[in-house]
Amino acid sequence: MILPAGFVLLALLQQPAQGFDHMKHKALFPSCTTCHAGVATKGESLWPDPVSCTTCHDGTIEKTVVWRPPTSPRRSNLRFDHVGHAAKAKDKSSSCSVCHTLAGEPRMAVRDPVVQRCLDCHGIRTAHLAAPDTACATCHVPLARAASFTRQDVAKLPAPPSHAAPDFLSRGGHGAVSRQTLGTACATCHAREFCYECHAGSAPPRAIAWLGSDPRSTAIVARAAPATHGDNFADRHATLAAASTTSCTSCHVRADCLECHRPSAARGAGYHPDGFLARHPASAYAREASCSDCHNVGAFCTSCHAQTGLTAAGVLRSGYHDARPFFVVGHGQAARQGLESCVSCHAERDCLTCHSAAGGRRFNPHGPGFDGARMRRKNFAMCTVCHGAAVP
Amino acid sequence: MKHVCALLVLCASPLAAQGYRLRLDGRFQAVGYRGVQLDSIAVTDTVAGPSGGPTTPDGFAVRCPSGVPYCLFFRPGAVQRGAPFVTTADASLWGFGVRGLSAHVTARTALDLTGSNAWPGTDPALQLLTAYAEYSVERLTARAGRQLNSNRLGMIGFDGASITVRDGRRGLDVSLYGGWGLARGVALPVTSPALNPIADFQPGTRQLLLGAEAGWSGRLGDVRAEYLREVDPASDYFVSERVGFAGVARPAAGWSVSAGADYDLAAGWWGSAEATLGYTARAVSGAFGVRRYRPHFDLWTIWGAFSPVPYTAVQGQVSIRALPQVQLRARGERYRFSDADVSTPLVSVEQSGWRGELGMTASPAPSWTFDAGYTREFGPGAASVGTSASLSYAPAGPFAITVHGAALDRPLELRFSESVLHLYGVDTQYEVNPGFRLELGAVRYAEDRRRPDPGAIDWGQWRVSVRAVLAIGSGDDLDRLPPAVRRMPGGRAQR
Repeated sequence: MILPAGFVLLALLQQPAQGFDHMKHKALFPSCTTCHAGVATKGESLWPDPVSCTTCHDGTIEKTVVWRPPTSPRRSNLRFDHVGHAAKAKDKSSSCSVCHTLAGEPRMAVRDPVVQRCLDCHGIRTAHLAAPDTACATCHVPLARAASFTRQDVAKLPAPPSHAAPDFLSRGGHGAVSRQTLGTACATCHAREFCYECHAGSAPPRAIAWLGSDPRSTAIVARAAPATHGDNFADRHATLAAASTTSCTSCHVRADCLECHRPSAARGAGYHPDGFLARHPASAYAREASCSDCHNVGAFCTSCHAQTGLTAAGVLRSGYHDARPFFVVGHGQAARQGLESCVSCHAERDCLTCHSAAGGRRFNPHGPGFDGARMRRKNFAMCTVCHGAAVP
Repeated sequence: MKHVCALLVLCASPLAAQGYRLRLDGRFQAVGYRGVQLDSIAVTDTVAGPSGGPTTPDGFAVRCPSGVPYCLFFRPGAVQRGAPFVTTADASLWGFGVRGLSAHVTARTALDLTGSNAWPGTDPALQLLTAYAEYSVERLTARAGRQLNSNRLGMIGFDGASITVRDGRRGLDVSLYGGWGLARGVALPVTSPALNPIADFQPGTRQLLLGAEAGWSGRLGDVRAEYLREVDPASDYFVSERVGFAGVARPAAGWSVSAGADYDLAAGWWGSAEATLGYTARAVSGAFGVRRYRPHFDLWTIWGAFSPVPYTAVQGQVSIRALPQVQLRARGERYRFSDADVSTPLVSVEQSGWRGELGMTASPAPSWTFDAGYTREFGPGAASVGTSASLSYAPAGPFAITVHGAALDRPLELRFSESVLHLYGVDTQYEVNPGFRLELGAVRYAEDRRRPDPGAIDWGQWRVSVRAVLAIGSGDDLDRLPPAVRRMPGGRAQR
């Protein structure tokens, strides 16, 4: 992975320098250091003295110009010092034109530094943004040390091509790479706060702490959902979330889940569509979802049904199921299919009126899959509700 | 609520380096609806109605069970009016001098300002959803207090402790948790009177709960296994004992195969299960799979002995971004219940059903979103056919408005109820500042019961709601960040 650098400068690097027309003045300045003494001598200004311009631009010989040297350092994240760099590069050609002109151009066709020249000299044989991870720090300081950058500068940092890989957001993508390159490549553009935009879960990778802290790093928007989420992820996230809990919790905190999966929420924030109250009978009868995961039958379903008069209240033959004249004698299938719906209005005593070995009509309620021996072993007390002490 | 705020203030003041997040979400509603009231009349007092069937003298169709001297019918009940004011407070505290140590509280107050009981969940008025201290580092997370674990066995609430140990490099994690359990789907112990509104069987003691989870997460997939047992300490009998398995395979970019199942060790049967093939790309995503659902009942009830039967469903869904501004969606499911092993020639009940939905979301212009959907379902007990649409205007500024409407036809299978419902509503939102949002909404339910007799009780009603969401906290990173970040324990820069 490579992390980009010199982002704001890059846009300018490939363009001829603006403002001062060097070529027009080529006959006047045989040496660059005449005006830019600071590139050769430590402590001198990088910029010419404006007074020297008035030698010619006095309003008589040439029209006057108004120019003042910049008072603040250029916004940059380059690890570069002209004097020091010239000293280190003394074995190579250290003339200004090596970096500030394209190959074959005259000396005074001055441009901002040509990145390709940097790469060539430093032996980097790739495009700038595709340079190896170890190369970034050759020219760039970590973002946390690029004090002159503004949030706007950070926001414009270009992403290297590796970031567009389909699995880059996955643990096997940036996660695997970052363990080796956090302190070198990643740090060029990113700081700790950037990672925490997504790694908000309870246990973020410890490696993130290796990065420096810099609030400007959040200017890069990186909150896109992983590619696996897609447009309708909310509808189908259940099984994935059950299997991949660890993955979920690297970005999500519990409160995210509780926004919808809130116990007894009278209106979850978005789980049910608008107007669901009106159409919940069909969904509840056939258990489109597991209602009781979030809604307690007693506290939610039954209390509301009771308030609207929809509870059996001990009267078995209340006449509610009036679309089937003999519903009481033929309710078995409906009950076994929708038992959760039944118990939102009926109490256990309603059923025990007939379905009890201790009294009533002694109809056997046990059906397919009933394992009496196992249930007796697990909870004998439940058996005694109907069978008393004489559990078979 | 006062107690929670007081606790937060008391805890916060002496700790100079403490950071906090607090989110208050308050919602007030005014609702009014009319229920039904069971009534009876002597057989001898009924008269013949227009269709020849028995009615009361004032026209209510009645049902006269054989063998008894009276007939039953439902009159309109009293109008129920409620004014629920529900506030949820979600707070995180950190900065106790130990990196990774934090405290979390989520509490809810629910008051019905009319003093009636028309709104569910208002008893007790204060409910503590979660309240735990957490110590979390990369390889370990430990919690103590009231917690909610959401996994494939459901939402497991308990007062106790949990510990998770993980090896991120190998993708392994193991969790163990235990304590005194809460009832399913609510933040109350199973002994709470609020869970027994019609006074039937109820345990006298809270269940003891012990659970364990283990998972492996790799580049090509994840697997997870869970175990949970709940025991009644008074009798040492099981309340439930279940295991669950889930896995995801990602064989190629964009493709996933997920599956899971749970087995009820106490009842000796498989519970719910599913297997899904999913595909996600930039313009298309979809899933196709099968699932099975069987309800789970704790053994302190007798319902498990009534042998609830599962259904098995085939389902599919697809979402297509036909244009950059238009997303189309469709989903469908067909299901069939297993044989209930019971029948009578007198009553037949649907054994299978289906449900489907077609919809689209379009953003024809910046700030404008139009959504429309058509749903249809048919199955045991009930059916429905409905259309819905909404139009939202949400410019970059602080204001947003949505108008929505729906029509629904919802016949029941086991009861005469051929109702048609129309729904109209408006929701507005005003973001005073990034930490404070106000919402105002109103919705009208207009129902036509389609019964020829006075039993056509109108359920129509207005609901008006006002909501305020306040998020405050230490630090300056609350603005326009995703919820997960705003709630992140410890804050970003503090970690």
